[in-house]
Amino acid sequence: MSAPDPDERLNLTKANVLAVDGSAHSLDVIGQILRGFGVSTLSRCSNIEEAEKLTRVKTFDLIIIDPSLERGEGYAFVNRLRHSMMKNANVPVVLTTGHVRGRDVARGRDTGANYMVAKPVSPKILLQRIEWVARDPRPFVDIGDYIGPDRRFKFAGPPDGSDGRRTSDLKSPLGDASEPNLSQDEVNAMIKPQRVTL
Amino acid sequence: MRKFYPEVRLRRLLKESGGSRREDMIDRAAERLEEIRAKCLTAIDAKVERVSGLALSTSDEGIELCYDLSNEIFAEAGTFDLTELSAAAHSLCSLLSAGNAPAGAIRVHVDAMRALRRPEIAGNKHMRAAVLAELRGLVDRIRERSKG
Repeated sequence: MSAPDPDERLNLTKANVLAVDGSAHSLDVIGQILRGFGVSTLSRCSNIEEAEKLTRVKTFDLIIIDPSLERGEGYAFVNRLRHSMMKNANVPVVLTTGHVRGRDVARGRDTGANYMVAKPVSPKILLQRIEWVARDPRPFVDIGDYIGPDRRFKFAGPPDGSDGRRTSDLKSPLGDASEPNLSQDEVNAMIKPQRVTL
Repeated sequence: MRKFYPEVRLRRLLKESGGSRREDMIDRAAERLEEIRAKCLTAIDAKVERVSGLALSTSDEGIELCYDLSNEIFAEAGTFDLTELSAAAHSLCSLLSAGNAPAGAIRVHVDAMRALRRPEIAGNKHMRAAVLAELRGLVDRIRERSKG
């Protein structure tokens, strides 16, 4: 992964952003951060009904939503948006999550959002996520229940500028092999099913 | 399965001329956050008091509201570097979401959160760390007792 060029300039002044959160103060936090980034067209909603009305009439470039609002109805909202085939169906979506219950991790993954960012939100991390969604190379997949970015990161690896969640991840470029390749017999021996006594 | 590449206008906008360096954007965002610090801290204090009032609720609604408020405190306190308060609120969220939280454990969380906002403790990092350490120790003991 390449580190971002520190002199590179980013322009969010024309981005039309929707922020959705059940807490007015969290909306204030997100709003201040986005204004600091230069976003001048920002819509804020504290309930799903308002968010759905807005997404029907305005075109957004980015939605930042805490899906836990209204007892987790935010997850269903994003899912419905993806299935809506309307103007904002494929808009980049970033989920912001505070304390998450176990089941919410899978729900977040399955909404069709592009990325999640854990609260408390910091300007640095939010800007990084905005860059990730803007540059997200993943195609969208539609498999009926799920419409959204391809959830398989296994071969794509972490986004540019990130070391990945696992600190043991190998860094690219990997370089030349330092040992001979394993033979097929050696590979087979590693994955051979074995009988065990429990 | 259908695979497609939607147009992402944000990608194009980001590259338009007239932008700013990342570091400058982050600095400006931090300055903007400072503008609302006082207002947000007042709101956090009000939420801590509301949690205190709800702490002994036995209704599902009361517990859910307590969880929601604690979650807000966790996020908003963390944004403004009230690290210990944020940690205490997160701990309370974990306790409440696990279900059947012992009343004693909830009470110590609320007491810790209120203590962390008292001026003589809020301004002293050693005292704040001590409050959090005490909270964690008490929660572990209550948890052990409730298992037995």
